[in-house]
Amino acid sequence: MTLQECYAALEGDFEGVMGRLRTERLVQKFVLKFLDDGSYQLLTESMENGNYDDAFRAAHTIKGVGQNLGFNKLFESSHLLTEALRGKDLDAAAPLYEQVKADYAQTVDAIRQYQASL
Amino acid sequence: MGNERRQKVLIADDSEMNRAILADMLGNDYDIIEAENGKEAVAILQKQSSEIDLLLLDIVMPEMDGFGVLRAMNEFRWIEDTPVIMISAENTPDRVQQAYELGITDFISRPFDAIIVHHRVVNTILLYAKQKKLVNMVTDQIYEKEKQSALMIDILSHIVEFRNGESGQHVLHIRTLTELMLRHLLQMSDKYFISKSDISMISTAAALHDIGKIAIPAEILNKPGRLTPEEFAVMKTHSEIGASMLEALPVHQNESLVRKAYEICRWHHERYDGKGYPDGLKGDEIPISAQIVALADVYDALTSERVYKKAIPHEKAVEMILDGQCGQFNPLLLQCLRELEDKIREEMSRVEIRDWSDKRNMRNIADEIMQHEELSASERTLQLLDHERMKYQFFADMSQEVQFEYTVSPPMVVLSEWGARHLGMDEIIMNPCSDKTVRDCFEEGVLENMHQALINTSPSDPIINYDCCVKIKGTDRWIKIIARATWSSDEPPKYQGAIGKALDIHETRTKMAALEEMAAHDAMTGLYNHKFARIRIQDMMTSRPDSKFALGIFDVDHFKQANDTYGHMFGDQVLIHMAKTLKRNMREGTVSARVGGDEFLLFFEYRQHVDLAINRIFNSLIGKYEDFPISVSMGVAQTDVAGTDYDQLFHAADQALYTVKQGGRGYFKFYDGKGCDALTAISPIEDGNDGDGQEEIKEGKEEDS
Repeated sequence: MTLQECYAALEGDFEGVMGRLRTERLVQKFVLKFLDDGSYQLLTESMENGNYDDAFRAAHTIKGVGQNLGFNKLFESSHLLTEALRGKDLDAAAPLYEQVKADYAQTVDAIRQYQASL
Repeated sequence: MGNERRQKVLIADDSEMNRAILADMLGNDYDIIEAENGKEAVAILQKQSSEIDLLLLDIVMPEMDGFGVLRAMNEFRWIEDTPVIMISAENTPDRVQQAYELGITDFISRPFDAIIVHHRVVNTILLYAKQKKLVNMVTDQIYEKEKQSALMIDILSHIVEFRNGESGQHVLHIRTLTELMLRHLLQMSDKYFISKSDISMISTAAALHDIGKIAIPAEILNKPGRLTPEEFAVMKTHSEIGASMLEALPVHQNESLVRKAYEICRWHHERYDGKGYPDGLKGDEIPISAQIVALADVYDALTSERVYKKAIPHEKAVEMILDGQCGQFNPLLLQCLRELEDKIREEMSRVEIRDWSDKRNMRNIADEIMQHEELSASERTLQLLDHERMKYQFFADMSQEVQFEYTVSPPMVVLSEWGARHLGMDEIIMNPCSDKTVRDCFEEGVLENMHQALINTSPSDPIINYDCCVKIKGTDRWIKIIARATWSSDEPPKYQGAIGKALDIHETRTKMAALEEMAAHDAMTGLYNHKFARIRIQDMMTSRPDSKFALGIFDVDHFKQANDTYGHMFGDQVLIHMAKTLKRNMREGTVSARVGGDEFLLFFEYRQHVDLAINRIFNSLIGKYEDFPISVSMGVAQTDVAGTDYDQLFHAADQALYTVKQGGRGYFKFYDGKGCDALTAISPIEDGNDGDGQEEIKEGKEEDS
């Protein structure tokens, strides 16, 4: 699996990220590093504990990282979740959280497959 | 900025991913310091803001967000020296505008582009480095220029003084006085348009006030005796001559320094009432610069020794001027003199010829820098500051003390490294008064009291000592806090916070408390001794003058028999038993004491039915100790009968007890106020006097025992 195929699998913008980070080496480094990022864990924990301030920050971080790395699908859903949590709109947040969970799983799956093929 | 050291970039972002990406983008050109929230960023800036060349700042962060960091940077004025590039996806126009208003240099939206980030960082750092270099160059130039012109003026005025045979301090005194008065006048009134740079210029020009004396013949100038009218007329020309000399200068006519010097030279002998010379100007026709120098000249002439007179003390000189004995002055200036009286005395005794001009130069440069806000502290200052900080940190670590610095705005405490470790707290604590770790440490109200005590200090007496008990890692310790309030140099000064340290005085304090405890108690029974009971009782009566109190004295009947029959050891056991019984049966707030061999005292407040209370205690005391039957005799005096003088009260109870003993022992009596005061039942330990007068005591009786 190439890095480009990985981006296709996670529905991201490979050209965009190459434009910003310039080298495939750098993109690869941070894509792999994404697997170690603790923000998703913080998001699930704080959503479950009803700690919506922390959940907001975690969603915000996922959104920022997703945006930087061109993980467009994850960026979109985490962006919507961030805004819902910022407005403390919990009714809207619940389904968006499910969407983020699904997109995160899709993203991580793609990266793991790519990692395995290295 | 020198090229020797690598530039430092601080990255404040809560996501480690983001920090890593940014660090990678900047490559190996910079030293990267990372902060994972705003509080940490402020802590790093607090320690080394002068070394940080750039801050990359995220907005949304835990603990303190990016705006909080910017506000702190504004409060501490770090924003003037440290450029900030904000990086955030929070790019709504009002957020961006807010960030720019708080002084950021640039704003980069997410997702960020490696090349853009890199170039903006490089450009910003270069720009700031250039600006700093320029600032340093300008500062050095100003410094050089000021130094030289001050030096020239010093030489010139010194020549005049030398010829006058004056002390050599005269010019310095005039300058100092002029500057003091101008500064104060500026606060008192805005009647005269004086700027801060005018102050420094006028006081410099003041040094030239007597240059005209160079043209006065030496015989007149230095004549020891009184001048003849003709000689005085010649002397008087010096003000006009000085002015003409300046007027005749071929160049620099338009320099404001020269113009001020002209005013001062020509008119420093005018009088407010119009009777001065050379022009007979009146009131505010005389320029304020000349008015002030005239006053300063008179003051210094009075307080200095001259060939023809001795020095007059400061207070006397001020009084003479205020009384109008030495000329007529502007009432506003007289008020100014009156208000400055203490300060002038202090400053004049401090004027030292050597470092004075240097200090003045530094002040002018500082003023210059303050006036141009875009100019920031020079490299020279920063180096000094770094050196001081290194010294401070070294000594703080060595001393093993809790040292702290508190600022009101932003509300923040910075603890020394050792102190923070010792207390188990963070080195930087924002909003300390509402911080839980701080609140848990201090008892309720202590922080508020300390705060109040600091606010109540003054710049001249800014130090407080405060003893309190704190919880350090769960253990109570007594500490002494010595703190110095920091006051701004504004007028009036503003309270800005405090620096200080906490000393552990737990051991000393506990020892003292134990000693006090020992001194207050009877060793055998653990009750108060008479001396201490007396103090307590007097305190109680003084603090509650409207209350009713009763004082009882009792002794153990036939105690001597116990001693004789069973031995002294047993006697002691009886006394300890009595003390225990007494303690057990007393209500809260009762004072009890052993006042003699087998004599005890009790004292309490009552509302009604004092007889019932006494009866209850009396009955609790009688009984048996081992085989020895115990009964007591008791005399009681009430404050509403015997008054609240301790000695009288005690004596009254003593008399009642005496009667009980005469009447066969084993019951109690109240003093009824009719006794004559010569009899005592108490063993003569204090003021017991043996008399044999007669007294009348109301016949109380032992009730239902």
